[in-house]
Amino acid sequence: MNKNYFILFGLLIVLSGGLLFLPEKTNYVQQSPESLMWDIVQPTRYISTDQVAKLIIEKDPLFQLVDVRPDYDFEAFSLPNSFNIPIDSILTDEANDIFNIEDVNTIFLSDDDIKADQAWVIAKRMGYKSVYVMKGGLNCWIRTIIQPQKPSESAPITEFELYNFRKGASIYFTGAELSTNSDIKQEVSITRKKKETVAEGGC
Amino acid sequence: MDSITKEKHIPKYINPYFGGVLLGILILFTFYITGRGLGASGAIKSAVVTTVDKVAPTHTESHTFYSKFISRDNSPMSSWLVFESIGVLLGGLLSGALFGRIKKLRVEHSPKITKKTRLIAAAIGGILFGFGSQFGRGCTSGAALSGTASSSFGGLIVMLFLFGTGYAVAYFFRKLWI
Amino acid sequence: MGPLIPLGQISSGWDFIIALIIGIAFGFILEASGFSSSRNITGVFYGYNFVVLRFFFTAVIVAMIGLEYFDYMGWIDLNMIYILPTYLSPMIVGAIIMGVGFIIGGFCPGTSYTAIAIGKLDAIVFTLGLFLGIFIFSEIFPYIEDFYYSGNMGNITISEVLGISNKLFTFIFVIIAVIAFYVTWLIEKKVRKTINPYKFE
Repeated sequence: MNKNYFILFGLLIVLSGGLLFLPEKTNYVQQSPESLMWDIVQPTRYISTDQVAKLIIEKDPLFQLVDVRPDYDFEAFSLPNSFNIPIDSILTDEANDIFNIEDVNTIFLSDDDIKADQAWVIAKRMGYKSVYVMKGGLNCWIRTIIQPQKPSESAPITEFELYNFRKGASIYFTGAELSTNSDIKQEVSITRKKKETVAEGGC
Repeated sequence: MDSITKEKHIPKYINPYFGGVLLGILILFTFYITGRGLGASGAIKSAVVTTVDKVAPTHTESHTFYSKFISRDNSPMSSWLVFESIGVLLGGLLSGALFGRIKKLRVEHSPKITKKTRLIAAAIGGILFGFGSQFGRGCTSGAALSGTASSSFGGLIVMLFLFGTGYAVAYFFRKLWI
Repeated sequence: MGPLIPLGQISSGWDFIIALIIGIAFGFILEASGFSSSRNITGVFYGYNFVVLRFFFTAVIVAMIGLEYFDYMGWIDLNMIYILPTYLSPMIVGAIIMGVGFIIGGFCPGTSYTAIAIGKLDAIVFTLGLFLGIFIFSEIFPYIEDFYYSGNMGNITISEVLGISNKLFTFIFVIIAVIAFYVTWLIEKKVRKTINPYKFE
């Protein structure tokens, strides 16, 4: 066998062996700093607690809640049907599986805005488009939905409508929580993105 | 290569490693452009479906296999693999013309067998290959070559069993070739 | 980022033109490497000529390494490429039938097209046989339908089955291929001393 062949074989081995030493690849498209900045200054990422309450009551399948607080906080109190992904495990595969569900918008929430906002920025950098933040977090949730303040007598009618909605939601959540306390944490059902299927067999 | 291969009659084929690298690059670009690999037997399948559809349209409609490939808007012949296979024929023609291998119709066979035996063997081989390619979801190019290149488990299985069987039964058919 | 057509970066109107061009390149490479000759192909099974193995393995490893690097560079989305689905038992049976057909017929579908192009009558007969074989399969399909769909493992990849990374599998595959290249060279050298050189047509 010609010596040149051994050089070529060596080249193949080096090329394929080099694959093993490649640094871990970032398998998502990074957002440029400018567009990230524009996304951050836009207030459109915020969803009010009232909207979230409505989504939960209506069981809207297009939204999922992701709670980024530590798991002990999540155990103590959580919104119905929310997933718990603590912020330090947001880059794991399990978290990716949840974000990856097609056509489902993700709403981040934490005690206040800050942790959820941080999670939102990370998710944006990972390339997920339909991610939102629950404005005010769970503190605001308690203030507005669970213990709504009765508006003053002279408040406009819309205030009263909102109050009535919140009052109803409060009964819904506090009542529902008592009865279904045990199965709040749902099993995470994962549907990965389907592979592109080509019409017919290869050959 | 080595001196033994430098026979007088060996036609000028390109080095198989060089050909392999070219084909590998072609497969890579086929995946890059179309998202799938090469194929060959799919074109024959389209031809079968078209023919049967022309002869007995009611038969194909009710048939569980043909009906998978028939839509009233498109002829099964207007498929990717049919065009690719026409290309294969043209490419062969081009290379044959370039290297001076296009000659009148002829049969290549081992000196130990007759022309007729070779043609019968070719027909039987073709029938078996055609039949098997449907179970294998592709032939050597579609399943074994492109399948393995895209690291499909099925592609690897087809490659191993296809060549493995070839070696296992080669002894019994050696008269056909050597 | 590729693949270009599934991601809509080339309109699908170009599909057939691209198919034709890719086909021409494929046919040219096959013919130029000598796969329009059935005796050249079957040599791989008798140890006198390993061009098939060299050609085939080189093509697979070049494509595999290339896809891995393309994926790393972000030029291709491997989730979008077509992974041949695995139907274990029918695929094994099909491959065994194809193996027998290969050794008897001396061609595979792709190579028979190029052999037709340079005027091989046996290749024409082989292709007619292919036609007949697929026709027979289609006609008896209702009776074998259950088997045809059995053993479905979905679009599973080798690394998912073996539980190793794609990169590691590529590396192992390359090592196996290079060893095969060397061993078959030794076998070929030995066999050619005992076998009469044959004449290509």
